[in-house]
Amino acid sequence: MRRAAVAWLLAATFLLPLVPLATWAVSGQWRYPDLLPRETSGRGLALLVDPNSDVLTGLTTSLLIGAVVTVLALAVGAPAGRALGLYTFPGKRVVQFVLLAPAIVPGLAVLLGIQVFLLRYGLADTVAGVVLVHLVPTVPYVTLLMTGAFANFDVGYEQQARVLGAGPLRTFWHVTLPALRPSLAVAGFFAFLVSWSEYVLTLLVGGGTVKTLPLLLFAYVRGADLTEAAAVGMLLVVPPLLLVALLSRQLSGSPGAMVGLGRL
Amino acid sequence: MTAAGPGAPAAGRRALRVPRWALILAQLSPALLVVGGLFAGGVGLGLAQSLGYLPFLGGWSWNLDAYRAVWADPAVRASFALTFRIAFLSTAAATVLGVSAALLVHRVGRFRSALTSVLSAPLPVPHIVGALCMLLLLSQSGLLSRVTRAAGLTETQAEFPALTADAFGWGIIAEYVWKESPFVAVVTLAALTGGVDDLVGAARTLGARPWQCFRHVVLPLISPSVAATSILVFAFTFGSYEVPFLLGRPFPAALPVVALQYYRDVDLAARPQAMALAVVISVLVAVLVAVYMALLGRLVRRAP
Amino acid sequence: MALAALLTACSDTAGDGTGAAASAPDAKDWDAVLATADGQTVNWYMYGGDDNLNTFVNGELSDRLEKLGVTLNQVKITDTVDAVNKVLAEEQAGRDDDGSVDMIWVNGENFATGKQADLWTCGYPENLPNAQYVDFTDPAVTSDFGVPIEGCESVWQQADSALVYDSEALADNDVESVDSLIAWAGANPGRFTYAAPPDFTGSMAVRTFLYDTADNPERLLGAFDEAVYGPISAELWQRLNDLEPSLWRGGDTYPASQDDVERLYADDEIDAYLTYGPGAVAVKAADGVFPASTREAVLDVGNIANNSFVAIPYNAEHTAAAMVVANELLDPELQLALFRANGAYPAVDLESLPSVQRAAFDAVDLGPSVLPLADLTANTRPELRADYVALIEADWKANVQQR
Repeated sequence: MRRAAVAWLLAATFLLPLVPLATWAVSGQWRYPDLLPRETSGRGLALLVDPNSDVLTGLTTSLLIGAVVTVLALAVGAPAGRALGLYTFPGKRVVQFVLLAPAIVPGLAVLLGIQVFLLRYGLADTVAGVVLVHLVPTVPYVTLLMTGAFANFDVGYEQQARVLGAGPLRTFWHVTLPALRPSLAVAGFFAFLVSWSEYVLTLLVGGGTVKTLPLLLFAYVRGADLTEAAAVGMLLVVPPLLLVALLSRQLSGSPGAMVGLGRL
Repeated sequence: MTAAGPGAPAAGRRALRVPRWALILAQLSPALLVVGGLFAGGVGLGLAQSLGYLPFLGGWSWNLDAYRAVWADPAVRASFALTFRIAFLSTAAATVLGVSAALLVHRVGRFRSALTSVLSAPLPVPHIVGALCMLLLLSQSGLLSRVTRAAGLTETQAEFPALTADAFGWGIIAEYVWKESPFVAVVTLAALTGGVDDLVGAARTLGARPWQCFRHVVLPLISPSVAATSILVFAFTFGSYEVPFLLGRPFPAALPVVALQYYRDVDLAARPQAMALAVVISVLVAVLVAVYMALLGRLVRRAP
Repeated sequence: MALAALLTACSDTAGDGTGAAASAPDAKDWDAVLATADGQTVNWYMYGGDDNLNTFVNGELSDRLEKLGVTLNQVKITDTVDAVNKVLAEEQAGRDDDGSVDMIWVNGENFATGKQADLWTCGYPENLPNAQYVDFTDPAVTSDFGVPIEGCESVWQQADSALVYDSEALADNDVESVDSLIAWAGANPGRFTYAAPPDFTGSMAVRTFLYDTADNPERLLGAFDEAVYGPISAELWQRLNDLEPSLWRGGDTYPASQDDVERLYADDEIDAYLTYGPGAVAVKAADGVFPASTREAVLDVGNIANNSFVAIPYNAEHTAAAMVVANELLDPELQLALFRANGAYPAVDLESLPSVQRAAFDAVDLGPSVLPLADLTANTRPELRADYVALIEADWKANVQQR
């Protein structure tokens, strides 16, 4: 009983930092030392739907980039995961290292070197350039998750299907894909979240032209109006929380997914 | 975990006979190209530029000037101390807190999944938002300061300890611990579900005391996961930019912040120095990756 | 700055990117310019931390430009140096025609850096249709922080420094002079601070103290003279170090930017700060972000005035459209609208306007928190030369921050 109480207290502490965020988003004037805002205001939330502010642009850009990055990361990482999960071959450890390292080594350190080339070849300041660099932190995690998924995948099912007469495409569609769907969902979820939260890479490559929500929030956090900053912060945090809630069953069942969570 | 390659089709089919190595290569190429290319390219070019290479221009030569300048800069030396301190303390605190939370939750009977969900709430929160949350909570005019004033412990903002924009980095550490201990907790929980209870039960039957159970049964079981996640946490806190920038001081600043400061300097002589710092950060973190790899192998083998 | 010049030389050698001041569409043939600009989009890189200004730029200014067929894309940046850096980087990468930066809101050191590297399109400001409202004999319009402009940037708005303070914490005699301010800070430690140079406003704060430390600030104008600067600066660092314990956080750290300083004031952690944008205080006081008791003052050393400009990079892809924007910004109607909306002081010569329009400017009431234009410009001092400013910023870092 006491243990449960301590556990719930801990959980409450973990939720605490989100409280001022939510409160500030709807506050009008909230100066020290008031514990509660003196007046509420729709100013912050109005900013989110104001066509003159950049928030809607930022939202669509973030969603667009996130979606494209997810699809590409899955397309690139899943086959790699299959190769690593099903086969052994010489040089496998090296490949694993190369594919995993970008998730660990800070993207900033990697990107500084390549920026001038992206500039030269017209990829800087474009959505395409941002999508490209977003693949650097996302593909490793997709690969890692799919490696685990394929390692647990019984290739025998595929072979059975082929013996029974199914072509490679039908086998993929009716045997492989359904078995991998939960892992693909989790991997896609992580790719999206990493891209959604990314700031430094977007800043470096997008150069301020490609306006994603994290870039916008950064500018607001440094400004003097905390209501607006908190409102944008809420916008940035709500979709990930929703996604986690939706996928909670798949997430808790997949230990590899836990590893990906650390990147966020 | 690995099967003999199913590259060859079942006998009797009229499909193409694809050699195994070609299949593997085809599956790996896109990832290797994209990630390997950008990553290796970025690090390699960064290294070259730190050694004096000026792309698209003539009249440059290899030199170590950037490294000398970086080493001599007091801002960089202070930055090393700050970055290591933050990374170590954040990792240690997050690991201890996370493992403790996991052990606690594991023993809770009812509502365990609800509890886990609540504990995991910080996980999907982007770090920028986390930094804003900490600002709103821990700054001298933040919520905590107002609470202490209401409780009569402080009278003005200045009396509340400086946790943001401070020399030690408390606010930064707080943000990292808040975001990363749920991560450690969730991974540890996953490791604990694999039959730990049976083993502990058996040990208790044999007369082991709780501390011995923990030390000799539970700890070895969760160590690989915990170690691997600690490495990840350390690497991340070492290389993160947004959080130390928003919650820290302009001087001394964390290494990634200093690197970007150099990069954005209008004086292009600072550019190679930015590259030098980037290389240093990469090398330091890459060493950790190797350690992580070794531990990861053991982690994957334990997956149910 | 030296390396930027070296860069130009190197790039000439390599044949990659001449970096020369490009030949812009001739502003004298304005119809042709308008025709070219029709349908173009201008990527205007400007400081984005002023919400009010952003709303104005994306609202009223944008609408006016739409009527001329020009689409305005405001690219918010936190530091102008980033935009200059980008143009330099593009030059380095050999992009001479399709630069991503069409226009930058710039002045001072950043303009000087660009000028030295031949980054700007020049020759058009005096030929713009609305140039008739600009007084080109005014040194504030022909030189920027001591650097001759030579037609490489077009004026936009005026900035006059002022002290913003909470009248509930500071009395009239506390804000009379730098000395009285220091005395007040000593009696009320932790309630005053300034942003760390090289922040633009923080740099101005240090220079305000510098002007006050020098008995004759005129000696500092003009070319750099070590014999003059040496003793004055030594005294300045001493003064600032003596002031440190009375500052916010005991002078242990300085806010990283002017935004942070204003946040501290809004959060009631400090009671006074120096600003370049006294007009913008009006909106904040009205919104309740600042206390209603906010007032402004000019210290007896005088305040520092400068103009800010818009400059078009040599490699801008949409030069004609950028020129159209520069022209619109000089339209007295727009200057008046900006003054009303944001408190940004006009750079057009008010004398040149018909009396009705001039009266409209005088009639603008920004509220009690803002000093009237007349008070603000009564005792202005010009800016130091750009390289002087850079030196002061570096010396501040070494002598005050890292001490």
